[in-house]
Amino acid sequence: MEGEKAVVALLLQALVTGLLMGGVYAAYSSGFSLIFGVMNIVNIFHGELIMIGAFTTYWLFTLYHVDPFLTLPVSILSASLLGYVIQRFLINRVVEAPPMMSYLCTFGIHLILANLALLAWSADFRTVTTSYSGEGFSVGPITVPLARLATFGIAIVTTFAIYWFLEKNRHGKAIRAASQDKEMARLVGIDIRKVYALTFALGAGITGMAGGLISTYFVIYPQMGLPYTITAFCVVVLGGMGYIPGALVGGLLLGIIQSLTATYLTSGLSVAITFILLFIILILKPQGIMGRGAVE
Amino acid sequence: MLLLLFPLLKPQGYYFRMFSMMFLWMGLSSAWNITSGFAGYIDFGAVAYFGIGNYATALLMTKAGLPFTSSVLISGILSSFIAMFIGRYTMRLRGAYFGIATLAFAEAVKQIVFEFDRTFKVTLFEGSHGITLPIVHDDRFFYYIFLGILFFIVLTAFLIDRNKFGYALKAIKEAEGSAELAGVNTRRYKVASYALSASLIGILGGVNAYWLTYISPLDVFSVIHTIHMIVMALFGGIGTVFGPVLGACVISLANELIGAKLLYTYLLMLGAILLVVVLFLPRGVIGLISMKRSRR
Amino acid sequence: MTMISALLLPGIARGQTAKFRIGCALPLTGVFGRDGNLVKDAYAYWADTINAKGGITIKGKNYPVELLFFDDKSDQAESAKLVERLATFEKVDLILGGFGSDSVFAASAITEKYKYPMVSGGASSNKLFERGFKYYFSTLGKATEEVRGCVEIADMLNPRPKTAAIIGSDVLFTSLAAEGYKSYLKKLNIELVYSELFPLSLDDYNSLLFKVKQKNPDMLLVGSHLVVALKVMKALKEVDFMPKMVAFSYGPTVPDFIKSLGKDAEYVIAAAEWAPNLKYKDAVFGTARQLNEAYFKKYGRYPDYVEVASIGGALTEQWAIEKLGLVPPLKEADRVRIMEELYKMDVMTVYGRIKFGPDGANVEHPPIAVQVQNGKLVTVFPKDAAEKPVWYPAKAWKERKQ
Repeated sequence: MEGEKAVVALLLQALVTGLLMGGVYAAYSSGFSLIFGVMNIVNIFHGELIMIGAFTTYWLFTLYHVDPFLTLPVSILSASLLGYVIQRFLINRVVEAPPMMSYLCTFGIHLILANLALLAWSADFRTVTTSYSGEGFSVGPITVPLARLATFGIAIVTTFAIYWFLEKNRHGKAIRAASQDKEMARLVGIDIRKVYALTFALGAGITGMAGGLISTYFVIYPQMGLPYTITAFCVVVLGGMGYIPGALVGGLLLGIIQSLTATYLTSGLSVAITFILLFIILILKPQGIMGRGAVE
Repeated sequence: MLLLLFPLLKPQGYYFRMFSMMFLWMGLSSAWNITSGFAGYIDFGAVAYFGIGNYATALLMTKAGLPFTSSVLISGILSSFIAMFIGRYTMRLRGAYFGIATLAFAEAVKQIVFEFDRTFKVTLFEGSHGITLPIVHDDRFFYYIFLGILFFIVLTAFLIDRNKFGYALKAIKEAEGSAELAGVNTRRYKVASYALSASLIGILGGVNAYWLTYISPLDVFSVIHTIHMIVMALFGGIGTVFGPVLGACVISLANELIGAKLLYTYLLMLGAILLVVVLFLPRGVIGLISMKRSRR
Repeated sequence: MTMISALLLPGIARGQTAKFRIGCALPLTGVFGRDGNLVKDAYAYWADTINAKGGITIKGKNYPVELLFFDDKSDQAESAKLVERLATFEKVDLILGGFGSDSVFAASAITEKYKYPMVSGGASSNKLFERGFKYYFSTLGKATEEVRGCVEIADMLNPRPKTAAIIGSDVLFTSLAAEGYKSYLKKLNIELVYSELFPLSLDDYNSLLFKVKQKNPDMLLVGSHLVVALKVMKALKEVDFMPKMVAFSYGPTVPDFIKSLGKDAEYVIAAAEWAPNLKYKDAVFGTARQLNEAYFKKYGRYPDYVEVASIGGALTEQWAIEKLGLVPPLKEADRVRIMEELYKMDVMTVYGRIKFGPDGANVEHPPIAVQVQNGKLVTVFPKDAAEKPVWYPAKAWKERKQ
């Protein structure tokens, strides 16, 4: 490839890669933002929900040869159910307590879930490889992997779906009301406990779905949760905690910045960038890039 | 007293190692407790200072040829300066955000140590190769050092608990807003406690490097160390003087006896302990003991 | 009180039948859990094989072998602590090496201190041999040497590769492998067009590999463990890039690799130090081929070269004991003699020739290269050890029939 064309191609490819990665980030971070926005809970076992979704897909594929995209609903269900149960019996107890308690609680649940998974499935690294894994199409010199495009698409659809749900749907509005003013919501007859349960189940379900998708192009393992949780933090803080479209914005932003750093500097720095960025945003603009996030 | 005389029994090196490890953890969790327990700012990035202490001492001893004691002291001072800088910004945040910011900071430092040499084309931190310190064959030496430092830390905690500094911290923990209104310079006290914790953790880190004789970024900057500090202090009784010491003693012993064979079960147990404490025993074992006492 | 007696009890209830007690600290859990368990299986296989004949025979009497495994959780501080426990508290007769350069690095400092000769088959970083230690031995060659086969194979390829790129994870073993690649590329006059090390925690390799794709090297050389190898292959397919040859320093020889990737693993080359078709044999295990089959019978899988290297290591300690006619329990003076004997050794085993150089590394063990062909590992280098000709160049992704 001639010099100039190559430079442009590399840039475009980096942008595309970043955008698609951003879609992946948004997919697995929106649930986190939702839960925080409504319940004010920083869910440290968020990554484990991704892990559960990923392993659900993996085992169904490996044991029963069911296509990973077909098993997405099962991933959604398993994560959703887990989230609901944990919320009802554990989180509910600390939701009114000082925030410190809730994140220590979710942290403890993280340790338990991750290590139960380790005991059950061993630390082996696994991945889902179908006949069409890694397939993509080319637009000129740019390659676009399909699975990631699918995730990107799903992220956008999900973001808008949740947004619509919270704005227009009756139950969604109840959730929003509860997050804005608990007492008022109660007075109007909204059952806060049901709201929380629904929110958590929904947030967990979306996250589980993302996990299922991830198992097709990443390597999964039982302790994968924590790094994903940390990235989800970063994405959501960037875009604004509790602000649903923010997860999309934050994800895309992070994805592109990482991609550009990896392409023009080194991959190692792209990892460091994530934390440096998070740190800077927290210091300078904790409400996120768009200023719509909640701050404690 | 007993502990001072113990070495006269000429036990095997293994026991020295085991006790040294216990003293190290008792010291670390007590130091962590000063900021997180007394002032209520739960620090999720404490391992950063542990790692900084390890590396500072390692580098000073190997590259600058400084003797052990000076290296460790400088490591402590360095840690406190860094903490003063970081704390100045992070302590503007509350609760979960402070936790995330400190976690991001710790992860960023880890990545920086990995990437530094390669990025700036120098040979300083040695990245993944790690640093080897001069070998010391004297386990008894470390036994006394760790014991001595532990004593110093607990004494410090004890004194803080009783004097004005401690009162200010506790006021910050209980009701920061009111404390500010009452004219307390909360920022100065917060940052001071953070710097103090950091310097003590840094000192312990320095001794650790010499004790292990080989350090690498993955080990000394690992988040599991912070996890241990948190669980140990919580279990024993966060915010008390002897709570962390007790918690660390029990948990590090458990680690030694169970952890060798059953790592995942051990971590599971940590998670369960965390949950139990958060849900039922927020004041830890010490709290339980004092509750029983006051019932008489 | 009760805790202390619990710690002391093992010391009392011991020593009815005279046997050789051999200890080992391995990563049975954690990042290297898989690999650690492979080595454990290997040592267990060795012990079972000789115990079936009664154990180690000294002057007509049989002494069975008892193995003591501790889990170092892939943590080096833990490894050091456990090895110290084995030496001082458990007072084992001998110590065998674990897995993972970092952990073995820390553990060997302890064995050096307590004068326990330690032979390992699971660590190869050069730094291990640069400390002037007398008690550390390795049946594996040095990391920078192990990858030699992956580069020297270029002379067998037609058309000869002109360019190469090196990537690798930033941990001790793999970064050394990368350095090894570099020095051999230079020797063979192949141009290095790109080189980068990345953190082990990196999830997305696409950006990195798009960069490499643009440079279009003939060979892609990767410093890897299993997880990195898996990630690289998945990413190569996503970015639609398949260089004419891709080689890994470690990963493809672990059965999980082929199992997880299926057809996508074809053409991959890996560095190795042993293969079942090599003409190695010894009195205990027979030929390499026989060991391979017997292993499959017992464990349902073929051994990875690290496992055989570990068995080789155990054999050297065994033969040293037999030659010197030592009986358990061994004293420090006995172990010093074993150490000296190990330096004199020059033997052929089912793992191949073992001769320890003055720094403890195995100097007579030529690295080989294997390739995944039709779902199986086939030796392709050096020529006199090759089972089949190497497949080159690798077919591009879109051209492969799925």
